Amino acid sequence: MIQFSSVAKRYPGGHEALRDVSVDIASGEMVAVTGHSGAGKSTLLKLAAGIERASSGMVVVNGQNLGALGETALAILRRRVGFVFQDHKLLYDRSCHDNVALPLRIAGLGREEAARRVRAALDKVGLLARERSNPVALSGGEQQRLCIARAIVNRPSILIADEPTGNLDADYARAIVDLFVSFNQVGVTVLLSTHDEASLGRLGCRRVALNGGKLAAP
Amino acid sequence: MTWARLHLLALAEAMRRFAAQPLASGFSIVVLAIAIALPVIAAMALRSVGAAAAGIDTDPHVNVYLALDASDEDVKRVGEALKAHPEAAQVRFIPRAQALAELKATSHLAEILATLDRNPLPHAYTVRVRTTAAERVGNLRTDWSKIPKVDQVLADFEWAGRLGRWVRFGNRLLAAAWLLLGGAVAFIVGHLIRLQVLTHRQEIEVSQLMGATAADVRRPFLHHGAVQGFLAGGLAVALASGLAAWTGYELRALTPDYGMELKVVFLPPMETLTVVLGAAGLGLAGAWIAVARELKRFSVKA
Repeated sequence: MIQFSSVAKRYPGGHEALRDVSVDIASGEMVAVTGHSGAGKSTLLKLAAGIERASSGMVVVNGQNLGALGETALAILRRRVGFVFQDHKLLYDRSCHDNVALPLRIAGLGREEAARRVRAALDKVGLLARERSNPVALSGGEQQRLCIARAIVNRPSILIADEPTGNLDADYARAIVDLFVSFNQVGVTVLLSTHDEASLGRLGCRRVALNGGKLAAP
Repeated sequence: MTWARLHLLALAEAMRRFAAQPLASGFSIVVLAIAIALPVIAAMALRSVGAAAAGIDTDPHVNVYLALDASDEDVKRVGEALKAHPEAAQVRFIPRAQALAELKATSHLAEILATLDRNPLPHAYTVRVRTTAAERVGNLRTDWSKIPKVDQVLADFEWAGRLGRWVRFGNRLLAAAWLLLGGAVAFIVGHLIRLQVLTHRQEIEVSQLMGATAADVRRPFLHHGAVQGFLAGGLAVALASGLAAWTGYELRALTPDYGMELKVVFLPPMETLTVVLGAAGLGLAGAWIAVARELKRFSVKA
């Protein structure tokens, strides 16, 4: 489903975030990327989601070599990948409903069908009652769940989450981890990063450890 | 999703953005409308002058006045000499009695003229000539002045040539105004759209992360620019026609005094449509340039 072959990523200014990383993630698998802060976890996830491009090596998602895709094709691939951002990237000038509806609007879904799917996604993360609220009014954990609702509303086959349990207390973190486990159980390929041991234990999945941008010894 | 549906959604989004800032949108449209109305009004003024000038006989004529003591025999002889000249296209005789009658009819001098004991006007010929070139007209005057019993030769049409030149000068000025103000409209719309883009920068960034293509991001802004231009063009035409109606009333009242039809000529329907659609086009162009520039800045680091 997702293949990294000798992937390196250098940012302008020379910082090398990833070096010679090769990882295979099968369809329907759940994988946790671990490592200390700055190990390259976020970069790996962004490359898998088509948000950034590799400097060298090859990233293949759903059989498509992302390096060979043009800007438009890459954008269309991003529609099929759900991404939960570490900094949420919610829009605070509109309601929870409209935030979750954004990917459906981009996909051009009709208003009624979109509203139905938005409500289903909000229900899944337990925020249906807050549909009309502004995200500012939500707690940190609720904002995280809103972000997850937005990532799953388009029913992606791949769900990627960057530190979804960061800055959450243990109860909230557990609820979030359970959500990802439930998505994986219905066949969604899940790739998430975390450095929280409790969450890792609860996920009970394969781990890919990064250290200084390189794969750490298993 | 069909192309039409994509654009319908983008148009709806553009209208939503209009509605979200009604005052700012309204002011922008008024500013644009004034910029577009200026050349429309200038074009109207030029057309009006052109129309009035068209009512004036601008064919080149030379008037040949005979001496007061010219006999009928002299009149006939001068007429034949004029007709024989290669530059004369048409020769018309105006007897002195007719000239006096015409003068009494068309001016307010009737009372003074009535006190005269004899007709002060000479016999005259009006000759339509084949040339307006100053040198050839000069030669004509020299030739015809030499005919016995010819008192005066007046080539009285230089002003008509000058009027034509003024109208052409006005047309050039108008073309320059269209160019400058058209550019201004594109830049104003571009600037307004750029502000819009900056206002929506977070939404654009998140949308791009969620898979919006550059075209998806651009589309509502293009509709916004085009609609803004279209509305401004419509308002400009409305402003100009309002002005035409307002000033036209006074001008028409002057018509009898000048013996020619004076009126404000509004642009014909096709040109009016061109102004409105052209404004929409300029709005679109301005939006395109502004969005392209800003998209480059915000593009997902892919």
